[in-house]
Amino acid sequence: MGNDEHMIRKSDLIKVFLRSLLIQASWSFERMQSLGFVFAIQPVLKRLYPDQEEYRSRVRLHQEYFNTQPYLAAFILGAVAKIEQERVFGRNGDGNVSGMKSALMAPLGALGDSFFWGALMPLAAVIAVALLITGAWWAPLLFLVLFNIWHVGLRVAVFVWGFRSAGDAVALMTQYRFTIMAKRFKAVSLAVVGGTIGLASTWRQELKLALFRPGMINTAVALILTLALVAVLRRGGSPVKLMLGLAALCLALAYAGVV
Amino acid sequence: MLFVGVKIKMPLSDTRLLIEIICIALAGGVIGLDRTALGQFMISQPIVAGPLVGWMLGDISAGLVIGALLELIWVLDIPVGTFVPADATIVAISATAISILGSAGGARSELVGFSLLLTTGMVQPTMMVDQFIRKRNARFAESASSAAGDDIDQAISRAHLSGLAVFFLKSFVLCLFFIPVGLIAVMVFEKMPAFTHRAMALFIKLLPYLGAALVVRKLSIRKLEWFFLAGFIVAASLTLVFHVRALIIVVLVAAMGFLKVRYSE
Repeated sequence: MGNDEHMIRKSDLIKVFLRSLLIQASWSFERMQSLGFVFAIQPVLKRLYPDQEEYRSRVRLHQEYFNTQPYLAAFILGAVAKIEQERVFGRNGDGNVSGMKSALMAPLGALGDSFFWGALMPLAAVIAVALLITGAWWAPLLFLVLFNIWHVGLRVAVFVWGFRSAGDAVALMTQYRFTIMAKRFKAVSLAVVGGTIGLASTWRQELKLALFRPGMINTAVALILTLALVAVLRRGGSPVKLMLGLAALCLALAYAGVV
Repeated sequence: MLFVGVKIKMPLSDTRLLIEIICIALAGGVIGLDRTALGQFMISQPIVAGPLVGWMLGDISAGLVIGALLELIWVLDIPVGTFVPADATIVAISATAISILGSAGGARSELVGFSLLLTTGMVQPTMMVDQFIRKRNARFAESASSAAGDDIDQAISRAHLSGLAVFFLKSFVLCLFFIPVGLIAVMVFEKMPAFTHRAMALFIKLLPYLGAALVVRKLSIRKLEWFFLAGFIVAASLTLVFHVRALIIVVLVAAMGFLKVRYSE
């Protein structure tokens, strides 16, 4: 049974959180984040297990396969810290920390990928691009602020939530409603992209395709061009192939004297 | 340079160019860490990395344009599971450096377009090198697993943090390769007929539409394309009829999109 001297301190949790920023430093196809996970959780294990034999045993346990969305890994790290502490103080049997990790890493991975990479990042990016393309040089800074307010805020919040709840992911998902937020962000992103095309007459000079004098016709052409490319993409084709296709088109038009 | 007592004078521009390439490659190595290995605060995204490198080389404008276009094109190429996407960071940094270093006094539009075209040749090598590194990184976990006794902490730290060095070297070496090769390509491009230059100036004007189309295609869920059209109509009306400033329009469109989806839930 543990005593208060071996109870986790705030400084241990801060170290775990800061180490979690490096969770993917040694990412590999075979072991993914396993080494990063054990590297991150070490300060807590050191605090809880002064006996070297038991400490090494827990370290070996946490070297098992692990992979999830890197920001939401903070939730699992917080939960593991709590479960290990409860285990040391004899409050939860042997804790089944491996079971908790296995159960959560895939669903949180899918949730995190869908929200952070599939919704939040495109939203911050399209807003910044819309402003940049119309002349706001500070747009990249806005991108960083927009993204990291959510990123850092959520990362800290889920870490604390994981520790306090010992891994109650249902409560986490109820609290943060990632799926609903992702849907909203995607809708707003589409609206902003549409708005960017609608602003075509105000783009930076080097990007403005001013084929005709009246701005309305240029703007209509911008819309038609975008929808045409969407139609081409629906038939398949990678960004690289389309870039090469557009370059070939430009060369043909320039050679024919159209531009 | 000094070889066995014989001084070889290099033109100042060549030495300076070499130093600039190495500095940008070093910056690329550091910025590239943010992509996977360290923090992921998104300074590695093209929209930040491009202008950052542009600022370092004294032409932030080229970096902004390249960063914005590559951001739109690659933002939804996302790392899900074992899929390794194109390294848009290295691509953005290299293209920005090529367009600026390949010009005398400010990157010209056609050179920026050509640099962006060169990025099509960078994508596959970045993915291959990334995959190679991620296969090799398994040895770090193996070496940490086989560590025994009292040095287990050091073994884990050493193994894990070695990954940082590997990811740094990946970005550094690739930038160090792409930039000089790109500059040679620029030298060839400068000697090409005038129509190729006009083509590249047109190419850069078409890329925003490709980026927008890629975002719409990847985010498009049934019915949500109406958000794209609604955003277009609102922005076009406010710009062309009421001449409202772009910043206000973007905010209004974003707010409109948010309210519309809330209302329809």
